[in-house]
Amino acid sequence: MLKNYQSGTFFDEMMDQAGNPKPHYDSFYQLIEQLSDKELKEKHETAQLSFLRQGITFTVYNDAGGTERTMPFDFVPIIITSKQWLNIERGMKQRMEALNRFLDDVYHDQEIVKDGIIPAELITENPHYYHKQVSGLEIPLRNHIFLAGIDLIRDEHGEYRVLEDNLRNPSGMSYVFQNRYVMRQVYPELFFQHSIRTLEHQFKDLHGALISHVPAKRQGQPCAVLLTPGMYNSAYYDHVFLAQQMGIQLVEGRDLVVKDDIVYMKTIRGLKQVDIIYRRIDDEFLDPEAFRPDSVLGVNGLLRAYRKGNVAILNGIGNGVADDKAMYAYVPDMIRYYLGEEPIIKNVDTYFLRDPEQLDYVLDHLEELVVKNVGASGGYDMLIGPHSTEEERSVFRRKIIETPGQYIAQPTIKLSRAPAYQKGEFYPCHVDLRVFVMNGIEPHVLPGGLSRVALKKGSLVVNSSQGGGGKDTWVLAEGGMNHA
Amino acid sequence: MLSRVADSLYWMARNIERAENNARILSTQLIQMLETSDQDVMHRDWEEILEICASKEEYYERYARLNRDTVIHHITWSPANINSLQNNIVFARENAKATRDHIPDELWQLINQFYLDKQAEQDQPMTPQTTQEQLKDIILMSMTAQGIIESTMTRGIPYTFIKVGKWIERAEKTARLLNVICEKTLKEKYNTASENYYYWLTALQIVNGYDSYIKENPPTMNPKDVLTFLIENKDFPRSIRYCVDHILQAVHNLESGRISHYSEELFQILAGIQEEIGRTDIANMGMEELMNFLDNFQDNCHRISRVFSQTYYLVEPVHSSH
Repeated sequence: MLKNYQSGTFFDEMMDQAGNPKPHYDSFYQLIEQLSDKELKEKHETAQLSFLRQGITFTVYNDAGGTERTMPFDFVPIIITSKQWLNIERGMKQRMEALNRFLDDVYHDQEIVKDGIIPAELITENPHYYHKQVSGLEIPLRNHIFLAGIDLIRDEHGEYRVLEDNLRNPSGMSYVFQNRYVMRQVYPELFFQHSIRTLEHQFKDLHGALISHVPAKRQGQPCAVLLTPGMYNSAYYDHVFLAQQMGIQLVEGRDLVVKDDIVYMKTIRGLKQVDIIYRRIDDEFLDPEAFRPDSVLGVNGLLRAYRKGNVAILNGIGNGVADDKAMYAYVPDMIRYYLGEEPIIKNVDTYFLRDPEQLDYVLDHLEELVVKNVGASGGYDMLIGPHSTEEERSVFRRKIIETPGQYIAQPTIKLSRAPAYQKGEFYPCHVDLRVFVMNGIEPHVLPGGLSRVALKKGSLVVNSSQGGGGKDTWVLAEGGMNHA
Repeated sequence: MLSRVADSLYWMARNIERAENNARILSTQLIQMLETSDQDVMHRDWEEILEICASKEEYYERYARLNRDTVIHHITWSPANINSLQNNIVFARENAKATRDHIPDELWQLINQFYLDKQAEQDQPMTPQTTQEQLKDIILMSMTAQGIIESTMTRGIPYTFIKVGKWIERAEKTARLLNVICEKTLKEKYNTASENYYYWLTALQIVNGYDSYIKENPPTMNPKDVLTFLIENKDFPRSIRYCVDHILQAVHNLESGRISHYSEELFQILAGIQEEIGRTDIANMGMEELMNFLDNFQDNCHRISRVFSQTYYLVEPVHSSH
């Protein structure tokens, strides 16, 4: 199967340089050797159709309107040993704690700025900094980050590094479960001889974390809801899935109403009080009264209810100040400052273009670097130096000189690769891993996460909006392989 | 339960039911057509079909002539006709999508798969043969949907809203069908026994009631017998009485047997209609009287639908079709 597979100069998750499977992939390798070409093709087909039938789609918007698409699924899983996972888990909890402390600090006394660790303008100039709206609030558990998605990559030495923090509305958790579901349905034989961490019971933790944010003054059984922009949102399936699994109502802005600073939902029996809102609507659309007045997704008066402590809103409002690409570079400093520890999982080195020295270096080395807009996501407004044309570089050079503060640069990391099986052949594709962390009274890391894969040969972009796909992620249980 | 969700469940059910009913009407007509040679009769029949499945006025606003293939397209896949089968399926799917966390996953997958399959078949040339097959698919999809609902759903609030949607749609459609056919037989002064027979037989076939009817009645297609059966029979699931009885029972259960101030009007209307059906002696009514009765009943159905929505704060549906 993998006879002609070339792992090349990149770190490969599965194969070593000599073309043999790494020890933790050995059983898997033996199992796929037993499948015929025909079986592989048929199973591939069945898996893709299964996503479509279940309506697990996201919507891509372009000039011609929206198209429903499924995320391509690749059956070769990313397997993580229990030792590696333990390290990731510790690193994620550490990072969460620092980021949460930072957010609480930003919206209270800003000690970190006073102590000269983070430049004030990085906060004040951030468009997602909502000083007026949410400064000085005592929110439940002082927790700003209920659910985070942290994107990890592995460099050419196989070391995990954090690429990006998503502290607002990270999507994709449903895919973790659906990938596993489809994998078990279509490729049951591949689970033989593996003992992996199960994804069952995770919703007990997620629901527990959610409910632990109940406002202090609320007595009795709290009512939690998930607020979605509606079915035309590209992540609607994610919202449906989470609400369904946690057993909470999926509501839209038009289902809620605020009266005397208390939030209610409109039911067939009249109004019912709402205590906790897990919202998947961006800050600026939450409440036309407090943010964008043209928002039709939001609820008038929601912020007033929040400020009065009558409702919990998760993730916290104003989290965007901590997860943009510029603030990212300071997270290691936050860890040192708040926790007095060294980061367990490192960042990717980052150049700040507002610093004239670093700016000069970057402008001279554009063809080696990756340049990103600090405010963009989804792989947009990004230059990948080694893959760029002279013309693209000069466009970026102009943009950078115009607004240097808007961009950061990073060395082109040789992103790790893993075999993917598409169109009847195995070939190496770049992968990353989105790890989901739920925070309530205790932090909890979902075992595994969403492995995203750039299925276009040679592509580095894993985003589903640009042709990326998904893989199942297996965390081996303690004791590693089960050869029983 | 959220009013918006209740509303979507209600309209999902109505759209599935509407698709099934319209598919059966068209399917019946396509078969009848084979045995009619008279061009005039054929033309007039298509107008009736339009009247039952959509709206004659709307059709003539868009098209100059009555043409068989145009009518078929209008009823089946035309995006412009808000009540076309295509639109019924799209609305059913959108409402199902908006309530995925309240309906059985199998139901969502059935509707979604059906939609995807029909989209893929759009490019096929339409022959009477393929149209017939597609109509059968729709009827079967609706029946499968009902099977899933009956066999998996807890008899709670979501179930009730789905069922009430179905019964209101059915009752309305049966009333409309009888209205159109009464009018037709009334207009045709010179009608022969065989033509009469043909129309009332069609009425029974359209509501899938021929087999049930024939077990209790002689096959003479006496209009009074057919009307009595389709209006007053308490056991036939598409008779007007059956639907009204069941709506009333469902609302009664929803309200745990209590009549509150907000549900008073709804109970009154339902009980009123029930009583009226009980009081009416169809066998001794003249055609004109019957027409009035049916007109009145059709209005009442619209009222049930409106008051039901008001009672439970149902909002503007994702796509309303009335």
